[in-house]
Amino acid sequence: MGNSVAGIAGRGRTIEVDFALIGHQESWGAAADVLAVLRGPERTPLPDDEIRDILPWIPPRAVCHVDVGSIVGAKARGLYIDSFIPPDHLEAAYVHENIARVRGAAAYAIKAGAKIVSLGGFSSILIEGNFDQLPERHDTVFTTGNTLTVGFIVQGIKKMCALEGRNISKSTLLIVGATGDVGSGCARCLAPLVKRALLCARNVERLRRLAAELQADGLPVEIATDLQRFSAEGDVVICAASLASPSLLLGRIAPHALVCDAGYPKNLSPRTEMLDAKVFFGGLGQITGGLRFAPDFHGILNRHPFPDVVHGCLLEGMALALEGRFEPFSQGRGSITQERVEEIETIAARHGIYLAPLYNADGPVEDGLHCQTEWSRG
Amino acid sequence: MKPLIGVNHSAMECTSLSTSAPIWQDVLAQAMTGELLAAMNYTALSEICDDPAEVADALEHAEGERGHAAAFAAEGRKIGVDVTNNVDAKHWKRLRDAFMRCIAERDFIGCLIVQEVMLESFAVASYSRVGKVAPGSLGKTFAAIAAEEEEHIDHAMAILRTERALDAQRFDDKVYRLHLDVMTTLAKMLAKECKDGHCEVCHTSCVKPSLFDVSLSAAELRGASLQQYLKTLDMLGIPGEETLAWVTQLPV
Repeated sequence: MGNSVAGIAGRGRTIEVDFALIGHQESWGAAADVLAVLRGPERTPLPDDEIRDILPWIPPRAVCHVDVGSIVGAKARGLYIDSFIPPDHLEAAYVHENIARVRGAAAYAIKAGAKIVSLGGFSSILIEGNFDQLPERHDTVFTTGNTLTVGFIVQGIKKMCALEGRNISKSTLLIVGATGDVGSGCARCLAPLVKRALLCARNVERLRRLAAELQADGLPVEIATDLQRFSAEGDVVICAASLASPSLLLGRIAPHALVCDAGYPKNLSPRTEMLDAKVFFGGLGQITGGLRFAPDFHGILNRHPFPDVVHGCLLEGMALALEGRFEPFSQGRGSITQERVEEIETIAARHGIYLAPLYNADGPVEDGLHCQTEWSRG
Repeated sequence: MKPLIGVNHSAMECTSLSTSAPIWQDVLAQAMTGELLAAMNYTALSEICDDPAEVADALEHAEGERGHAAAFAAEGRKIGVDVTNNVDAKHWKRLRDAFMRCIAERDFIGCLIVQEVMLESFAVASYSRVGKVAPGSLGKTFAAIAAEEEEHIDHAMAILRTERALDAQRFDDKVYRLHLDVMTTLAKMLAKECKDGHCEVCHTSCVKPSLFDVSLSAAELRGASLQQYLKTLDMLGIPGEETLAWVTQLPV
């Protein structure tokens, strides 16, 4: 088990690091909150224009220490490393600059001696097809964390169907962004459970390859590069691509569809032309064995309406660290299988990491659940 | 194909510089003041060194900084402006005082931290940015001096890393104390607006709002300087989460 943490020697000394989490802020509001914590309560928060001027110049570096506990007593110590990708630089135009930032963050994690590194949010999307662009590493392994993300998306779909009294075997599943690592993993896990699977993505060759793989197992799969063709047909929808314009999909969605926002950043709002569709955020898990940040970034780095909720991609590295399995569990694109998903779900559950309560931009979607604290979206 | 009318490149450069000359005059004045202050600092450092090699080194650096100041003055003459300096200007004087407190304590390591980690980070980053946008030989001079200053930093890093290896906690505490003193002053100098009145180096009003006219900005110079500073602290091995907090706590 992962009881491998050495004692902390004190400020300025080397601290043994089991895992590192590489991330960035999704909005300027979130970035402002992080900088406000770092400045301390005795100083006035930085004005918005100063934050926009300063943040892009910050080199990738650790922001805080993260301690995670397991329900079976294991503990692991890690670092949250921010790549400081400016929140308005998430588009394709900045891909080279952003890869350089993730490389910088990866180099920082290697230098810190992290045994396993999880790539969070956009970092994972940038690197899943570019693992060769990570710096040379010796005793550090990297995982995109996408396998556990897929596991929590699939669990969320099943839970939402149960909550809404839907029979998943009679559903038509639409996956937007189906050829990505997360999208194709969801397709492999869910296509065998549904009546019909519609796969949508921009790259037709990749779509054909994925469809052929699933059809070889006798699964009913159709493909399209034009989202408009399928958008009204799915009654269970997974948005695994971060749509530049979500309303393209939402304006034509089936009236009673269940929609899992599995993209990054999460940008589907139930208020936008959604009719009666039920939207929820997918791919999130909750730590029940204890999560501590130093300095205290609770509710700042994990801006969710429930305590200790973290993106699945980051949780994968934490779960593997608690398990003492320092291996590159998720690498590359398109290799996530149902067996691997079940394996990482089992590891996570053993340490008390479970599917997070379902919620969307308006709050909880499950009756009887209440947010622990007031939360704000950046 | 040969042009029908010959284009005199230097004539064009002069025309373009004539409109921006007052801006470059102030940029050069700040740079020249910084170089003269550095020369004074190295001369003072030579007086507390015990090792003759270190004395020679410090004096060589002082001479180098005076050479940089002369090069900036010469660039001013080329564009027809008189480059003044004022090492007693309020911000620069504070920086000088911080350095001299280390001298008074015969704190060789403290002197290196102030000069090489803090002031030179600022010089390397800002000269590099100016070198990219300033025309002709002006740009080349800034870029060349930025490269020379970077070599200073490399030289000092080896000494400072060795010192930190002896007692990291003590070393980091010292850097933080000096950071509060020196970097607070530098942050005020680099702020987008001078909130404490005239800096006493610019020849008329503050140059910062005019920097946009030469494809620069105060925000960019500050950002690049703080980035260089953080990278230098990283090279020393000071934990990045600590230095990030230090920098975010600076005044804006």
